[in-house]
Amino acid sequence: MSSDSNVNAGVPLNTAIPVALASFDSIVRTEELRTRPRRPVEYEKETTALAALVKALADSPDTILQTLADKILEILRSDSAGISLLTKDEKRFYWAAVAGVWKPHLGGGTPRDFGPCGDVLDHNAPMLFRHFELRYPYFWAAIPPAVECLLVPFYLNGKAVGTVWAIAHDDRRQFDGEDLRVLESMGRFASAAYQAVESIEELRSEVTAREEAELELRELTGTLEAQVRARTEQLRLSEAFLAQAQHLSRTGSFSWRVATNEITWSKQLYRIYELDPSVPVTLELIRSRTHPDDLPSFYDAIDRTRTGAHHYEYERRLKMPDNSLKYIHVVAHGVLDKDGRLEYIGAVQDVTERRLSEQALDMARSELTRMARVTSIGAMTASIAHQVNQPLLGIVTNASTCLRMLAADPPNIEGAQETAQFLLSDGHRASAVIKHLRSLFSKSSTTMELLDLSEATQEVVTLSLNELQRNNVIVRTACDRDLPPVLGDRVQLQQVILNLLLNASEAMKGIEDRPRQVLIRTYLDEDENVRLTVQDAGVGLEPSEMEKLFETFYTTKSDGMGIGLSISRSIVERHSGRIWAAPNSRGPGATFSFAIPRAAEDAITAPGPGVLEPCTASATGFAENL
Amino acid sequence: MAPRRLVTVVDDDESVRRSLPNLLKQFGFAARVFSSATEFLASDAVAESSCLILDVRMPGMSGPDLQQELKRRRRAVPIIFITASPDDRVRQPLLKQGAVECLFKPFTETALCEALDAALETRRH
Repeated sequence: MSSDSNVNAGVPLNTAIPVALASFDSIVRTEELRTRPRRPVEYEKETTALAALVKALADSPDTILQTLADKILEILRSDSAGISLLTKDEKRFYWAAVAGVWKPHLGGGTPRDFGPCGDVLDHNAPMLFRHFELRYPYFWAAIPPAVECLLVPFYLNGKAVGTVWAIAHDDRRQFDGEDLRVLESMGRFASAAYQAVESIEELRSEVTAREEAELELRELTGTLEAQVRARTEQLRLSEAFLAQAQHLSRTGSFSWRVATNEITWSKQLYRIYELDPSVPVTLELIRSRTHPDDLPSFYDAIDRTRTGAHHYEYERRLKMPDNSLKYIHVVAHGVLDKDGRLEYIGAVQDVTERRLSEQALDMARSELTRMARVTSIGAMTASIAHQVNQPLLGIVTNASTCLRMLAADPPNIEGAQETAQFLLSDGHRASAVIKHLRSLFSKSSTTMELLDLSEATQEVVTLSLNELQRNNVIVRTACDRDLPPVLGDRVQLQQVILNLLLNASEAMKGIEDRPRQVLIRTYLDEDENVRLTVQDAGVGLEPSEMEKLFETFYTTKSDGMGIGLSISRSIVERHSGRIWAAPNSRGPGATFSFAIPRAAEDAITAPGPGVLEPCTASATGFAENL
Repeated sequence: MAPRRLVTVVDDDESVRRSLPNLLKQFGFAARVFSSATEFLASDAVAESSCLILDVRMPGMSGPDLQQELKRRRRAVPIIFITASPDDRVRQPLLKQGAVECLFKPFTETALCEALDAALETRRH
């Protein structure tokens, strides 16, 4: 090893490219890799090295490439080893990590189009060189010379961007097929590791996104673990470290040879599935643990895997023998081996705890929503009852009195007539109460502003998504982004949308034979009105119901109040619009629609939002009677 | 002819004050009405009433307030509460406090008759 201070200068980056001295063919020995006797395989060493790299990636990602170089040096027992990466301008390679004799050259590099790394990228294949300084004279300054250099390309997002290499500086060490295998394995690792480091570098700058960075790191670590895992299993070797890592991260891994249905599981995966590791894994066994509701997607995934090498990521539920649920996150990657046989390698993470806490949160949230809804309806019910019951008592009492007067001997005609008058006025009063309530719901504190109905709809959908998903309702939206604005009360219109949405969800409660799907659309209709439709796949409507639907206290629900749609109608009419319902023309279910006029041009150009005078008188009157 | 027993109605609702006395008279009672608890307390009806038909929710002094006030004055007049808010959580405490009945508006004349019977039964003890 040289301590010459000029050693770096011996690998010039910017000087003119000298003329090649020897031919390319004269320095290439790649073919010999096939014929040279292979050294014995050292699986254990390799596995330990891979595991150490996973650990390095998690602990100190900055040093991952150097660790990789160190490990290559160790496993291949080469004299030097390193990783070369293309610079951003792709004009040269720089040595990102070097281990062994050539370590002082760290940071040096070679030209892209005139050097061994460039050759490897041009051929997109591993290469073995002998005395490459004979062709590339700038290596003369790199002492001691590289007698043999084995290089493999390494890829980033499918593109070859560098090489991983090992060098023997004398003839005692000759690289063989086994060295190539190990180096290629390390090369693949280098790709994943480099991507991880890059991601970490990026994410590190975003302090606020710390959680995301951790997640990404964990995912990448998980992927690497899976790689290591697949390797080890293939090699059937000791895996204490990895097993612990998998155990800690609740991640198991698997490989599946599709043609032969040969499935290999890690111990942790057996643990996740709560199966004895001595049991051979079959698709049937996996199926038996899969939650019945997830079986269609399970079969679907199996079918698709057979069509070729894909990348999958999905979440699925397991049903354990004690009927408990587990949530697993599966990442699987299909690869074709040399003989074109399809193999899937993947990682399975037990995310049950995370899901359960998320669900608990969702439950609490939707319970809160429901409570808010129920209490407001409850409060409304009580006040309406109070308002209506007063005149009703008058009616009932006067009717009794009236009948008694008429039944008396002699009948008190005059008294009966007077009482009937009272009765009549109480009747009027009852109907006035209803009218009063109607006007209250439609008029109180209306604040009109220019608003985008699509945007208002999206907000409602977002807010109610959890509640809907809990009822297994799939919401699809088709909202026109270029919808002209309408002049309206945002909160009131959103109440209408929410009401229609929850009604749709309610209408599909018992539906099991088809997806519980709601389609919400907004668009400008043929009359230049802004229209919203909510289409469900629920029980549908009887033609006789259509008329009554929007009447106060009319309900088809056992626990309904029959207020929602009548209030909705009041609100829509207040916006000079109309609301209606119709059975779906195709398929089961119903569609509820409302249409309101688009805002006039002058309203749009006006400087501020228009505010209608709130009708506070009725609101006050209502409150007094509570 | 024995003087007819006085049933007094205290309710802030006008249609109740207008209709209920007529029916009570049909039943054979004398009837007086007051639109508030304070108005009633200031009158001689406090001493003369055989039974009180009392609205629960009234502005100012409420029905239950009046019940407590009468207890304080040791006026043991039987009380039939009436309310337009059908809520058992309101009804039960009132019965525990000694009310004869608590009727939800609108109630039938049969229900009223039974309550009055029970009230005047109480009175005789």
